[in-house]
Amino acid sequence: MRAKRVAIALLVALFAYLSVYTWNLRTKHIDSLANYTGLEFIGLVVKPGQWVADKAVSFWNRYIYLVGLREENERLTQELEQMRMSNARLQERAAAADRLEKLLLFAPSPSWIEEGGRVIMHRIGPESVLETLMVDKGRLSGVEEDTPVVAPEGVVGRVLRVGATISSVLLLTDLNSRIAVRGRKNRSTGVAIGMGPGKDGSEPLLQVRYVNLNAPLEEGEVLVTSGLAGIFPAGLPVAVVTAIERSNVSLFLTVRARPLVDIERLEEVLLLLRDPQWREEKE
Amino acid sequence: MLEALWWGGFTVLGVWAQYFFPGVDFYAPGLILCLQEGRTKLALWLALIWIFILEGPGSLAFGYGILWYAGLCLLYAAGRWVFHAKNLLFMCLLGLCMGLWHYLLILGLAELESVDAPTVRLLWDGAWQAVAFPLEWVLLNRLYPERLRNVSAL
Repeated sequence: MRAKRVAIALLVALFAYLSVYTWNLRTKHIDSLANYTGLEFIGLVVKPGQWVADKAVSFWNRYIYLVGLREENERLTQELEQMRMSNARLQERAAAADRLEKLLLFAPSPSWIEEGGRVIMHRIGPESVLETLMVDKGRLSGVEEDTPVVAPEGVVGRVLRVGATISSVLLLTDLNSRIAVRGRKNRSTGVAIGMGPGKDGSEPLLQVRYVNLNAPLEEGEVLVTSGLAGIFPAGLPVAVVTAIERSNVSLFLTVRARPLVDIERLEEVLLLLRDPQWREEKE
Repeated sequence: MLEALWWGGFTVLGVWAQYFFPGVDFYAPGLILCLQEGRTKLALWLALIWIFILEGPGSLAFGYGILWYAGLCLLYAAGRWVFHAKNLLFMCLLGLCMGLWHYLLILGLAELESVDAPTVRLLWDGAWQAVAFPLEWVLLNRLYPERLRNVSAL
C-alpha cells in the first residue's frame, strides 16, 4: 500500500515538474526570475573579490613591476602615431563611402551604440554546460538577448541571458554558436560554427560550413561578419582561416578557422546596442 | 543566528568554489549534512535558494536544479535503508551516483532543448563531482558547529 502511494506521489511530482518545465520553456518567466536572483547574487559575491584582485594587480603593475616601462612607452607612442595616420586615411575612405551610399540611395544601415563591459567570470556552476562568460552589464544598461559582444580583436559572441546588472555571453567557440561570415578578401560566405572547448589545452577552433566547393577562399584570409543573420553588424572580424579541404562527397568545402579573440585572456568587451532612434525610425 | 551565519557563509563560499571549479556543485554535501542533522525544513529552504544560484548562471532552461536535488534526496533516502547516515562509504557511493546523475541529467535536458553539450567535458565534470562530494562532506562534517548539531537526528 505504501509503495503504491510513493509511486503515485512520484508520478504526480513528475507530471507537475514537466508541466512547469514546458510552461517555462514557452514563457521564460522562471528563467527571468533565476537571472534576476541567482545570476545577480553571484555577481554580488564575485564583483568585490574581482575588484580587490584588480586593484592588487594594478598596484603591482604600476608601482612595483616597472621593468621595461620606458621601452614599452616608446613602442606604444610609435604605434599610436601609426594608428593616427591609418585612422585619418580610414576616416577619409569612410566619408567617401557614405557619400557614395547616399548618391546610390542605399537604405541607412542600423546604428550601434558601444557599451563597455568587464568580464567578471567564465562559466560557473554545474549547469553552465555551454561556453559562456559573464559581463557586468545587464538590462539596466540596455542589454538584451542576442546583443553582439566584441573585443578590439574581433567578435566574442552574443548575449545569452540577461539579469539586471549582469549578463551571460555565449562564446563564438561554443558548439551551439552560429555566425554568418564572409571572407574579407574574396567575399565568399559561410556560417562559422564553434567546435567547443579546445582539447588538451589547445586553442578552440571554428568550422565554417556551407562554403561552396568553387568559392574562392584562402588560408590566412580573415573572416568577417556578413550581417546576413541580422544579429551582428556587417564587417566585424571573427576568425582567420587555418585549413581548407576539398571533399569528394560534399558540395561544400571543409574549412577550419581560428578565432581572432583570445577568450581566456579577455578582460573587457564591448556590447553593441541598437540605437533607439534608428529602431524608432524603423518601426 | 549562528545557523544563519553558518549557512550564509557556506553559500557565499560555495559561489567562490564554483568560480574556481566550474561544473561542480559544492552545495550538495551541505544539503546532505542538513538532512543528516534532521533539519528537513531548513534543507528545503536552502535547496530553493541554491537552485536559483545554480540556475542563474546556467545555460539551460530552468529545471536542472530541481531534478538534481530531487535525485540527491531520493538517493540519500534509498541509501539510508542500507547504510548508516554518516557512513563514509555511503557518502563516496553517493558522490559517484551524483557524478553519473550530473552527466545523464545534463545530456537529457540538453537533448530536450536541442542543445549540443560537450560530452567529454561533462564526463570530467561528473568525475570531479564524484571526487569533490565526499571530500567536502568530510570537511563540512568536521567544521559544523557542535552547538548546531542535533544528536537525536541519527
